[in-house]
Amino acid sequence: SLLNVMTSKTSLLKVILLGDGGVGKSSIMNRYVTNKFDAHLFHTIGVEFLNKDLEVDGHQVTLQIWDTAGQERFRSLRTPFYRGSDCCLLTFSVDDNQSFLNLGNWKKEFIYYADVKEPEKFPFVVLGNKVDVTERQVSTEEAQQWCQENGDYPYYETSAKDATNVAVAFEEAVRRVLAMDERTDHLIPTDTVKLHRKPRSAATCCS
Amino acid sequence: NTWGRILTWGYSCSLREEEDPTRKGICYFYPEETPIDKQELLCGQLAGAGRCVSELSSSPVHVLRLRKNKFAIRMKDDFFWALSCSVDVPTASVCELLDHLISLFCFYNGSVRQSYQLYRQDTLAARWAQYLSHHQGSTDLHHIFSCMKTIDSTNVDPLLLLKAALILQACQRCPLVLAGCILFRGRVVSTQMSPALTMKVMVHESETFIKSLISYGAYCLSRAHSTPCKDSQPRKPRLSRTLSDTLSTDSDPSDPGSSQSPLKSPCSSCRSSSDNAFSPGNADQLLSSNSPLPNGKLEEHEDSFYHSFHTNGGDITDNSMNSLGLEANCINGGTEGYCRRMLDFRGAGETQASHDGSMRRKSDHMLPSSGTGSPDSQHNDSLMPMMLYLHRVKGLVLALLVEKHFLDDSASMEEVYHSSLAALNGLEAHLRSVSPGPPAAQGPYIFAHFDSIQSTLTSNLSGRPGVVHERPFVRATSLLHSHFCNTETLQEAIIRSAGAAVYGTRSVAQETYFLQHGGSVKNSGIPNHQDSAFSLPTKARHRLLKHGINLL
Repeated sequence: SLLNVMTSKTSLLKVILLGDGGVGKSSIMNRYVTNKFDAHLFHTIGVEFLNKDLEVDGHQVTLQIWDTAGQERFRSLRTPFYRGSDCCLLTFSVDDNQSFLNLGNWKKEFIYYADVKEPEKFPFVVLGNKVDVTERQVSTEEAQQWCQENGDYPYYETSAKDATNVAVAFEEAVRRVLAMDERTDHLIPTDTVKLHRKPRSAATCCS
Repeated sequence: NTWGRILTWGYSCSLREEEDPTRKGICYFYPEETPIDKQELLCGQLAGAGRCVSELSSSPVHVLRLRKNKFAIRMKDDFFWALSCSVDVPTASVCELLDHLISLFCFYNGSVRQSYQLYRQDTLAARWAQYLSHHQGSTDLHHIFSCMKTIDSTNVDPLLLLKAALILQACQRCPLVLAGCILFRGRVVSTQMSPALTMKVMVHESETFIKSLISYGAYCLSRAHSTPCKDSQPRKPRLSRTLSDTLSTDSDPSDPGSSQSPLKSPCSSCRSSSDNAFSPGNADQLLSSNSPLPNGKLEEHEDSFYHSFHTNGGDITDNSMNSLGLEANCINGGTEGYCRRMLDFRGAGETQASHDGSMRRKSDHMLPSSGTGSPDSQHNDSLMPMMLYLHRVKGLVLALLVEKHFLDDSASMEEVYHSSLAALNGLEAHLRSVSPGPPAAQGPYIFAHFDSIQSTLTSNLSGRPGVVHERPFVRATSLLHSHFCNTETLQEAIIRSAGAAVYGTRSVAQETYFLQHGGSVKNSGIPNHQDSAFSLPTKARHRLLKHGINLL
């Protein structure tokens, strides 16, 4: 039935990984999608992406994860692909203080090129990667403080190498996007009925 | 149409007696709608003339020239090929194209003799048609130089070319991967193979590219009977950089039939990237209109292309063949909807029945030997069975020549697939968003630059057939190229009419042609230092520098 088609429809969410070169954006993506870790990855040139299907709180979503090149010289290649992002994962490495200090710049660059209409409402998630290394330069407290001051972003300490917190962080990103959608849905005064938001039971009883 | 006819004609042993009608020996004739008695007449006459001349001169015939036509001729054993074109096409070009077509045929089908024993004639005719059709899309200049089609790199960030090269390099971390190339919309982005080999792989791809309106989104591993083919032009150095330089002939089937086994292939959807992420103006509306279903399965009509799928690679007697030809089973239930299929790519265009027929016939002739390319010591040939791995992301294709047992090694296959997927997705997105740029005001000159080592062509010609003022340049280029081919010591030449002059220069590695528009050509008929044609070489040097062409 039509209703069935609508309920089983999965939505495509575009999330984008931004952060300095070498903080482990590609590794995080690869760990999450293929569950593999390659210590000898080359610099990403431009952008790359992978899709991953998952279910979060009963919602079927396809996550399209865009991995970007962190080096300045790739800027003109990556920025055209910011548009249309549903969530931005700002990434730094806990063993590299400079990458932490640059988070603000990455946020600015994203908001500018993605042409975000309401930056203060846009879902950002912050990832402190490489928690497996012993010599940290950025403490958890510092990072949490930055997140709090910049818009109360969720913060995850991850390790692509040993898979710590990677899935959790992506799932949180999905939750943030879905929560945004719910809010927007309520704000729109409209007669239309969004069938795919109906609970599952509604579909089965009329099919 | 420049290319009139191709006829390939083979006598099989049983047809050699005099009373056998010629028509039975005609394997393929283009245009196919030519009445059979005309086909017969032409084939009979050409073969007769060819044989007569070669017996009189005790040397093989390469060209037969008639008043308005000429034929490139190849004779080998009992087989005879002719390709006709109008007289103003350079002889070298038509010969090169015929050689290319024959080596293509062997590349995908094995030796000529063997393939005509194994396959039905109509099956092979369909393949000839496929190889030939690929060439009809090329521009005149591409015909003249027999060169590869490459992407127009003027608007492409060189970093993206680097990205493509790195993807290929990363694939080679798997030792079963021999070499590869990346194509976008039927044009080469990056290749690790010699131009000759790349062009062979491209034929396969560009055929699928045309059909991709139906089938894109799948990536498949297709069975190619890859062989380093006979280099039919001994005067040219072999350019292979990455593959075996073994001299091979197409004569003998030391190559086992086992490589005929259908392929398994991972097939999955490469989900279309969210289009809203890109700038509009996507030139390939058709391509994006037919995206695979989100569950990773391809849409139903795909099977109109993949006619033949088999469930078990290598097992000819396996009858569990799915009549629809869609036999997909997911192997890892993975997130990419990753599933594996068996398919025989070459089955495209055949009917199931004829394909089955050919399979059976093959099994009569060939034992399913575990089929290695090990050269039979008795026969001095080295057909090497290889496979062609194709991973398609919309208009982008990664084509890899792989060892035969790559197919059996699912770990390797998955590794290659997963390690290249993200980068291919990204590269496709990048290349698709490259705007073709303004239609590039041509400027006051036309040029064409042919790199004979890489077999690439750079030119500011529009390439559109209707552009009238470009015709004389193409004709002049064709003529000059002909002269360069015939006269090895010739390095520079100017060809002129009352209104225009084209300058041509060549070195070991390149040929360049240049025409300056405007300015009256002061042509007094006798050598004159004011003659503007004499300033052409200087102008060419100066103008072409900004195209990266150094004529110094």
